[in-house]
Amino acid sequence: MTDLLQLVFAGLAQGSVYGLVALGFVAIFAVREIVNLVQGEYAALAGLSAISAVGAGLPLVVAVLVVIPLVMGIAVLLERLTIAPIKKMTPLTSIILTLGVSTAVKAIMLLIWGPEAKGLPTFPGSDMTIGGVSIRSQELWVLGISVIVAYATIWFYEHTIRGKSLRACAEQPVAARLVGISPRTATVVAFAVAGFTGAVAGVVGSPIYLSSWQSGLSLGLKGFVAATLGGLTSLRVAMFGGVLLGVLENLVAGYLSSGYRDAVAFVVLVLVLLFRPHGLARKTSGVRV
Amino acid sequence: MQRSMRVLSTGLAIGLAVSMAACSESKTPTTTPAGTDAGGEIKVGVVLDITGAGASLGVPERQTVEMLADQVNAAGGINGRKLKLFIEDNQSTEDGAAKATSKLLNTEKVDILLGASRTGPSLAMRPLAEKAEKPMISFAANAKIVEGSKWVFKTAQNDRVVLENMVDDMKAKGLTKVAVARDASGFGEGIPEMLTEIGKTAGITVAAVEKFAPDATDFTSQMTNLRASAPQAVLIWGIPPAAGLAQKAYKQLALNVPVYQSHGIGNQAFLDTAGDTANGLRAPLGRMLVADQLAADDPQKPVVTKFIADFKAKYNASPSTFAGHAYDGFMIAVESLKKAGTDPVKLRDAIEATSKWPGVSGVFTMTPTDHSGLTKDALVIVTVDNKAWKVAG
Repeated sequence: MTDLLQLVFAGLAQGSVYGLVALGFVAIFAVREIVNLVQGEYAALAGLSAISAVGAGLPLVVAVLVVIPLVMGIAVLLERLTIAPIKKMTPLTSIILTLGVSTAVKAIMLLIWGPEAKGLPTFPGSDMTIGGVSIRSQELWVLGISVIVAYATIWFYEHTIRGKSLRACAEQPVAARLVGISPRTATVVAFAVAGFTGAVAGVVGSPIYLSSWQSGLSLGLKGFVAATLGGLTSLRVAMFGGVLLGVLENLVAGYLSSGYRDAVAFVVLVLVLLFRPHGLARKTSGVRV
Repeated sequence: MQRSMRVLSTGLAIGLAVSMAACSESKTPTTTPAGTDAGGEIKVGVVLDITGAGASLGVPERQTVEMLADQVNAAGGINGRKLKLFIEDNQSTEDGAAKATSKLLNTEKVDILLGASRTGPSLAMRPLAEKAEKPMISFAANAKIVEGSKWVFKTAQNDRVVLENMVDDMKAKGLTKVAVARDASGFGEGIPEMLTEIGKTAGITVAAVEKFAPDATDFTSQMTNLRASAPQAVLIWGIPPAAGLAQKAYKQLALNVPVYQSHGIGNQAFLDTAGDTANGLRAPLGRMLVADQLAADDPQKPVVTKFIADFKAKYNASPSTFAGHAYDGFMIAVESLKKAGTDPVKLRDAIEATSKWPGVSGVFTMTPTDHSGLTKDALVIVTVDNKAWKVAG
């Protein structure tokens, strides 16, 4: 029983990181039908930049607070440079395009930070053991920050004028434009949100899961799988899907073999695409978010 | 029009960035006239794990090889012939190693092969070197790399030698029930079985075995299972950063039995990832890490001291044990090239004739049946105290 709880708890933390990345996928797809494969790179970029900032002598909090807006800026900049110029964007074009951008970003990170994986220092706090289940302080940080960021993102999309205008863009692009909502601004905001969730995932996860030039690949893939659980349009299901995936991975690693850990995500992906291509949510209407 | 220009320039920028990255990694020099034994440049092919899971091994190995080649060439080369390096990155994969080796053998026609950094890629290179009948010196550990091979040698201490040291230490401490977490790749292959075999006379049994991928980052599941087997000692067999993260997970899961680590942890990356949780671990490691604590008459002392000083002067960092394996491999190649030239058969014979040669990882004596060259006394039990290596008491 202790072992089960231990595995589930570790999975919750790992899964929250996947969930944050998944939120980024949905934040963009729900607005522009763009599958943004650079999403995982935001996390790697944030983790590596924060490590350099701490290495340069900045306090951890300052480093994190500087790096998150920086990565948001880079996310928007990359959108302006590579997505904005395309006139007829289809999901397929976006996949090919962002795959290229993600490869370029990875190469640049390799040039700047070298090939070795590094970790941020652990956030303040001490590890504890409750009922035989050992809990790392960083895992509590990951869980706490993930819950706050997930709520904030959902609240933004559902309860603010800006967020509602993004949904309007997605549902009725022409009508939205008629009432003065600019699709261009909507896209920029969506990428900023995606950069934000990705960057947060990168910095909170780095002390446990490390950051390297290629860590964005597997994070991005798992986040994508979690997002497909929500049909790429539901923020709630994406976050929940990420957590579910993390727990499932840890149970498989614990009870079967750790070699199957990375296979879990892909088995889930195949099953979802076969049986629930619109995601786990019941609604299959065109309404998004 | 303006828009298409923008697309074009963006595409160009990305293309440039990608090709820049590609260039910096492969560093393929332009081809030169084939080096024959009649003279000309000596071509040394080096295949290393520069990116991927083995990066913390491959990068300092590349630095070492480049530094030594410069030193040899600055001193006039080998019998008047300059060394030319062909360094390839195998991306820590077996197929990458095979591809790079084929390229070095068939296109560049190298005289000798060095590498790879890890066991898996080295095993992938072995058949190619044997088929081409060219000598190869691996920097990796598992004895399978050289067992029964005519052409392949290696410089890292055999896993058997490491386990023998560990078993001695466990015996002295009366530890008999050991749980093992091992690297799932070639490096960890067969370790629990070998521990059972060597530990038999000391009454040592393996209580549980868990595997982890060399690039794994979370070890909660493995350590939870080890904890459930209630061991008296835990053996973690892997390379940094994975070995360091496993060490951390071990402490965080409140396992309090002694922990042993392999000789695969001798670098700064391990100390950085494990942090304070590394305090008190025990690992059989080469003498280089504790060079400052060696006796003045130790035959390795001058070699180790010079290597550390040179490496620090050039790269402003302390060399790892992996850099040491590269030093040994490269210098054995240089010594043998001095004696035998580049004729493959003569060169191979010269490597096999290496005897009582003091290197960084130990004093090497190769024989027709032992292509690894190091015995049990090449290692000392080392512990960690406040992020520094110490000879264990």
